[in-house]
Amino acid sequence: MNQRFFDRHRIAEIAVYLAFIAVVLAMPAFIDEFTLNRFSKYLVYGMLGIAIALSWGYAGILNLGQGLFFGLGAYMVATSLKLQSYTSLQQGSDTPVPDFMLWNAQPGAPTDLCCITDGSFLWLPFQAQWFGIAMAIVLPTLVAFLVGSAIFRLRISGVYVAIITLALVLLVRPLIIEFQPVTNGFNGLTDLGWLTFGGFEFDPYLVETYYVIAIPTVLVLLGARWLVATRAGLILQATRDDANRARYLGFSVAAYQVFFFSVSAAIAGFAGMLYVVASEFASPTFMDIAFSISMLVWAAVGGRRSLLGACIGAILINSISAAASETEMLQEAWKAILGLIFILGVLFLPRGLAGLGHDFIEWLPLGRRGATRPQNGNAGSEPAE
Amino acid sequence: MADTIFIGLSLASILLLVALGLTITYGAMGVINMAHGELVMIGAYTAVMAAIYLKLNMILAIPLAFLVAAGLGLLIERLVIRHLYGRILDTLLATWGISLLLQQAIRLEFGLSFINIHVEGLGSGLQNLSVPEFLNQAYDLGGFTVQPYRSFIIVVTIALAALTWFLMYKTRIGIQVRAIMRNPQMAAAFGIDVRQVSALTFAYGSGLAGVAGVMLAGFKTVSPDMGSSLVVDGFLVVVMGGVGSLLGSAAAAGLLGEINGIIAMVTNDIFARAVVFALVIAVIMWRPNGLFSFKGR
Repeated sequence: MNQRFFDRHRIAEIAVYLAFIAVVLAMPAFIDEFTLNRFSKYLVYGMLGIAIALSWGYAGILNLGQGLFFGLGAYMVATSLKLQSYTSLQQGSDTPVPDFMLWNAQPGAPTDLCCITDGSFLWLPFQAQWFGIAMAIVLPTLVAFLVGSAIFRLRISGVYVAIITLALVLLVRPLIIEFQPVTNGFNGLTDLGWLTFGGFEFDPYLVETYYVIAIPTVLVLLGARWLVATRAGLILQATRDDANRARYLGFSVAAYQVFFFSVSAAIAGFAGMLYVVASEFASPTFMDIAFSISMLVWAAVGGRRSLLGACIGAILINSISAAASETEMLQEAWKAILGLIFILGVLFLPRGLAGLGHDFIEWLPLGRRGATRPQNGNAGSEPAE
Repeated sequence: MADTIFIGLSLASILLLVALGLTITYGAMGVINMAHGELVMIGAYTAVMAAIYLKLNMILAIPLAFLVAAGLGLLIERLVIRHLYGRILDTLLATWGISLLLQQAIRLEFGLSFINIHVEGLGSGLQNLSVPEFLNQAYDLGGFTVQPYRSFIIVVTIALAALTWFLMYKTRIGIQVRAIMRNPQMAAAFGIDVRQVSALTFAYGSGLAGVAGVMLAGFKTVSPDMGSSLVVDGFLVVVMGGVGSLLGSAAAAGLLGEINGIIAMVTNDIFARAVVFALVIAVIMWRPNGLFSFKGR
């Protein structure tokens, strides 16, 4: 027990987690409001990295449509915040009506949410902010639960899950664009109001708003780390490595997969919600295939089997991207470099930065080696197809 | 109605052109090549540049585009994919990286745009490929307008599908490819040089993508990102049809193309795409191995 507890990898892991949390919480002391707002978006991407690591690294479910859950979360909360926007209050009615609905209104329709456009009544419950916030998590989780139940019960796995999730996001994205009277189509929801709690308005450039994003990120990270170490998390990893073996041992493989798939979706939806708080818009581009695959890139670079690694990978890549896009020339070159990083990462660093860190700790000449313990993860090998 | 079916058929033939290459690379090698769309794009650029510098017309550009895309495919196989056999999801990620790289290479004119050199025909500017005169005039056939370019695409697709079928089922190398599809270890045990055959298969699949690019260039604007949405469509066709099955790919492409065409006629394009994706999901749920699949692997 002693040996296990003071194993060098465990100490290093705790140290890295603490350092990360300390940096995230202390960030406002070092950078100005503008940069802080940007950094809070990177933290949201970091949260997406955690969601990916959970479903891909730990459950072996490659979700090519994580953007669907992110987008759903974003749209749900943006709907509520749109109704709080000053433009929605200025449309000459007692209750708020979004400006774009007036542009899409049926001739002669009353300026009221109930019937200004076809389907505008769907917005009615979002007049309460708590409803939008709740739906931002409930809806992605529910969709993931239903989809997951259907596919995992049928024992669909590997590439086929990837294709179904891909088709799913491709299916929803055009629908969101199509139902312009309710979603404002291509333009997405812009000019949003601020998140308000007890009279306090969370202006995205306030330090308080940073903490509204930073603290949940830390909590999600710790919660996910706790979850994968529970009995359920261990069984999940067993099903990832060999689903049939786990089945023969009597575990309900589908139930664990559905559960973790839903948790991953809930985290992504939550991230979508926080992104809207920081960026003040929701757009169908959240459901672009390229965005969903980018999330996988972040997780792969950081380390797909490490929650913190994937999180840091997301923050790192996005910080560099943003720095590179300051100059137009670098912006284009950066995309090429990103492609190259990706190819080289998959070829030479399949465990990502986290794997590099692990090897470094192993290499440190610190007396007793942790050789009595098996190494975590075997060089990025995929679960048996 | 006949018009709608015809339009559906031409949509289907483009889907099949893109999917043909994918179905053999994925089926034979278990490689999800996300850069397939970029190989289509390279084919299109080859045709555009051949028209500018070599004064080649479109039909003569087809073999050239095949060779360029096949050569590039061979290079990709040698440099990247060779090291990833058996890691199917990693091939997806690495080839996604390749697709980013290829797009940017064309957009930045291989880096020349940084030193302000512009190559005509390269770069992100809008370019078009002029279609030969005789393929441009619509003519009337018993009250039914035939668009010759669409017919031409259908004919080329049928020819390539037939060629691929011939190679796969009537030649020695085709037998080897099919053996590898069913069981690579067993094929190797029987003395088939799996690596060599896989490399050639990949090059051939890439070459087909190049031809698809030439055909697309005839009616679509040629741009660096023209291929990125194609690969997803092509991949859905492959999975729906059954991995490695030519007949399945043809049937799935036909089905999806027709459904897309008919629903787009009744409602609109966006809704038609949503229906197509829903259908793909339903088929995978119902038959995870696709409509036409063999037992194997």
